[in-house]
This record gives sequence, structure tokens and C-alpha cells, in this order.
Amino acid sequence: MLAGPGNPTSPRQGVRKNLDFEPLSTTALILEDRPANLPAKPAEEALKHRQQYEEMVAQAKKRELKEAQKRKKQLEDRCKLEESIGTAAQIWNQEILPNWSALCTSRRVRDLWWQGLPPSVRGKVWSLAVGNELNITHELYSICLARAKEKWSSTSAHSLETEPEDISFLFHNSSLELIKLDISRTFPHLCIFQQGGPYHDVLHSILGAYTCYRPDVGYVQGMSFIAAVLILNLDTADAFIAFANLLNKPCQMAFFRVDHSLMLTYFAAFEVFFEENLPKLFAHFQKNNLTPDIYLIDWIFTLYSKSLPLDLACRVWDVFCRDNEEFLFRTGLGLLRLYQDVLTTMDFIHMAQFLTRLPENLPAEQLFQHIAAVHMTSRNRKWAQVLQALQKDPERGSPVLKR
Amino acid sequence: MAYAYLFKYIIIGDTGVGKSCLLLQFTDKRFQPVHDLTIGVEFGARMITIDGKQIKLQIWDTAGQESFRSITRSYYRGAAGALLVYDITRRDTFNHLTTWLEDARQHSNSNMVIMLIGNKSDLESRREVKKEEGEAFAREHGLIFMETSAKTASNVEEAFINTAKEIYEKIQEGVFDINNEANGIKIGPQHPTTNSTLSGSQGGQHAGGGCC
Repeated sequence: MLAGPGNPTSPRQGVRKNLDFEPLSTTALILEDRPANLPAKPAEEALKHRQQYEEMVAQAKKRELKEAQKRKKQLEDRCKLEESIGTAAQIWNQEILPNWSALCTSRRVRDLWWQGLPPSVRGKVWSLAVGNELNITHELYSICLARAKEKWSSTSAHSLETEPEDISFLFHNSSLELIKLDISRTFPHLCIFQQGGPYHDVLHSILGAYTCYRPDVGYVQGMSFIAAVLILNLDTADAFIAFANLLNKPCQMAFFRVDHSLMLTYFAAFEVFFEENLPKLFAHFQKNNLTPDIYLIDWIFTLYSKSLPLDLACRVWDVFCRDNEEFLFRTGLGLLRLYQDVLTTMDFIHMAQFLTRLPENLPAEQLFQHIAAVHMTSRNRKWAQVLQALQKDPERGSPVLKR
Repeated sequence: MAYAYLFKYIIIGDTGVGKSCLLLQFTDKRFQPVHDLTIGVEFGARMITIDGKQIKLQIWDTAGQESFRSITRSYYRGAAGALLVYDITRRDTFNHLTTWLEDARQHSNSNMVIMLIGNKSDLESRREVKKEEGEAFAREHGLIFMETSAKTASNVEEAFINTAKEIYEKIQEGVFDINNEANGIKIGPQHPTTNSTLSGSQGGQHAGGGCC
């Protein structure tokens, strides 16, 4: 997953050369005579038992052999995968990254990119692709962090004196408090961001520094997931730079500032392509009043990092870095396409539950095939054009959502 | 599974007060000490029995951060019941109740039943809000009130079921127009007419998983 090719438990070590081995001995498979204090078996019965015993052993052997072959196949697949990741890493490191600006839009690089970035170059490619339009330096990060730390120490002293009258002030001021609360709820199953975990302080620092860098945006729930994924792939200051620049993209700004009407425009654009690609499912959703905000909010805010298995989410991020916001919505359509058949049999609540808690065994390759099959043109218009047209339209927004 | 009525619930309140944990305890009968953060909205469902009638609860569990208020507002529509939750160990979550209540009253239909819940009653040593304060607030604003613990499951069933009972009574009194789905009540596909032997207790809940 996130570990690089230098994974300590290399699958090669476990490969068994000889597949013809005896079944693991269990008492159930040892043929014994009756205890001495009982009369011996008649010859006929003893023979029958021996035959039964031999059959059982033969079956057990067959089963073991089959399982061993399956394991061998899995190991081979993993070796092949690791080898291809290794080769890809070499290509990215030696050929593409040194010539980034010349090659990043080439057909070959784009194709390679679609297949997923090797974990060892992921952070570098993300950084390059997201860019640094905001010209944030490592020094600026240190300054913002220092300011955040100042605030932390002063608010903990002040909080007792604050009057509860001005609630909006309280809400904003408590964003540092909120960060603390949310960090423990960010990828809790990974156990690395929680209090005492190796990345707890780093996550805290990046989110705190951001609230000082962009006080107008502040901390908004969902950010902790984005920062966490970046931390797993980049050094702290570089993660901050990528974080701030990523959030500065138009779609992310619209969502994290909770610009409701612009969010509705995004949902409306999504619905245009939804209807175009999956008319039957679209009609089923409409019939059941299942509006896109119900599932898209979580997907877009966290860039799928909360809803998809982390390694798969990183693959979505790879192409998101290449194709920008359009890919987020395309991924959403890919998910709906993947589960179209099961969704059409469900009612509102089951669909809503399904989409807000996607299956854990979501098949990565299949998902990407479905994403690839999504057409991102509607009546000859591309995503950006559809979105722009909707933004100009005063009657913009999903009719279902406008209330 | 056939049901007589479907009630839509919405769970609201500040972030971190235990909304998702209450829902999980109610639908799955388990407690997760570190629950995932809720972004947007999540869902739960369970069948309960009131007055011998199968009632399906469709529960909308919302994000608590102030920034998301404008999104949450659109989810009140069509809710028959609301659970307004605060954390008895965090005074500020109690102080914010008035703004939550204003939002709820403004964006829901006027008959929506609101249950005020003081959660985390198992953390008595860290209590910052007295039970009497919760009771007083509820009395003043005409809400039902309960202290619960999603961790020990104390009063969790009761909170969800008593809200449903109140809605059910309003239906009986004719306060809710059950033919108007904007009230958050839907009549089941097969309206059961028998089954009257199970009378108004909490004993007949549909056991097990969240789906119906």
C-alpha cells in the first residue's frame, strides 16, 4: 500500500520450492488401532477404516496442494506487481522527473500516470502537479506555525474568561480546539494521528499553521483528511505547501468556504453528466429524491480519502493531480457506474447508506475501468464549459436542491 | 420488511457531542470509542414497534461544525423528529443550543418533535452541565429531555423510541397530516391492520442490524 518497494516482508522469501508435501498432521488424520483394553476391530472393518483413512488423506493432500498453488499464484502476482512498481519508479525517477516540464503533458507520461504513481515518487509528482502558485516557502510555513503556537498558548489561558454572548466569535476562536478534537477522529484505524501517535503533532501543526495562513477560511472539517494523506507522502513543510495550494483550487475553495450556491452549481454540473452517462440510474435517483449532495459532500471534501480504501484513494489523487476537479466528479460517476445494478434495486435509505459507506472490498481495477468508461462531454461541451454555463445562469443549481 | 409508518429523524448538535455514536448504539448496539468524523450526512435505519405497529425510523446524522450549518439546514425538510444533542462535559455545546433550536424551528415544519439529549452521562466526574439545567432548557422551549450515554447505552433506546411515541401520538391526535410527506411521515407500503396484541411497549423492537 503506502510502503515502498523496500517492504521488509518481501514475498519472495516465503516461496516454497516443492509443492509436493504431506498434509499438516492433525490427530484427525492419524489412523490408530483401538486402545488395548477394547476388543480389536474385525479385519473387514479395519480394512474399511484404512480405505476411508487413505481417502481422507488424499483429499487433504489435494486441498493443500490447491491452496499452495493459490498462494504461489498470489505471491507471483505480488512479485510481478512489485516488479512493475519498481520499473515504473525507475522510469519516473530517471526519465520523467528530471524533464518534468517538457514531459508532464506527453501522451506517454499521461498514460503511465493513469496507471497509478509508484508510492516512492507519489509525493514528488503530487507536489509538482499541484504546483506552488501561492509561492509559499518553508520559512513562511515556520512563521505561520509559530503564530499558531502562540495562539494555542494564549487561548488556553483565555478560554475561561470568554463570555458566551458572542457565539460566532466563540465558534471561530474554537477552531484550534476543534482541530484537536478532529485529529483523533482522522483515520482512527491507522492509529498514527491520534494522541501519542507518530504523526499527531505534524497534523496538528499543518492544520494550525493553515488557520493562521488563511484566517478567512480557517479550519473546516474534512481538511484533516487531506492534510493526513499529504503527510503520509511528503515532508512536513512540503505537505503544507501542497495542502495550501490544493485548497486554493476553485472547487476546493468553493467547498471549504461552504459557498453553498457555488456548491449547488457543482452538483448541478455533476447531474448533467450523471444523466448523460447513466440515464436509468439518474431517473431512479430522482424518483427516490436522492440528491447528489448526500454522497458528494463527503467524497469531494475529503477527496475520497475517507470513503475509499487509502491505497485506492491515493490512486484517485494521482489522476486528480493530473486532471483537476473534473476527475473528482468523474470518479463519482465511475462509482455510480460500478454499482449501478445494485443501486437500481435499492430504495432511498439503502442507497444513501450504501453511498455514504462504500463496500470495503471495492475492486480497484474495476473502478478505474468504470471511471475510464465515463464520458466527460455533454452535447459537445466539456466539464468546464458546462460548469461555466451553469454559473452564468441565474437559475443555476439543481432544481431539487434549491429550497 | 413491511411497516405501518416511516418517520424521518435528524440528529443535530455541535461537533463531537456523540451524534454518530448515539446512532450506532441505536442501530447496531455497539459503541466505537473513536468514531470517524462525519462530513455532510450519514444514515441509519431501524424498525421499532409502537402500539403494535411497525415503524421504520430513517435517521439523518449530520455534521456538527458551524461551517456546515447552511448544508444541514436543507436536511430538516421533511423531518418528523429531531434529536438535539449536547455534551454534558462541554458547557459550550450547551450554550449553543439556542442557535441550533432557532435553525431547527426555522427550517422544519412546526410539528417536528424535538428531543433534547444531554449525552455522555457516563462521564459524571467531568460533568459541566447539570441535569437540572437541561431539564430547565427543555421545559422553557417545550422539548422532551433525556440524558443518555452512547457508551453504556443508557437511555439510548428510550430517546429514539420516546420521540417516535410522541410523533405517533400527534398522528393519533390528527396534528400531523400523514398524507403530506413534507411532515416526515410516510405510510408504509402494506398497512398492517392486525398485530394489535403488541401494545405500546418498547419490547417489540426489531432486533439486530441497521437495515430493514
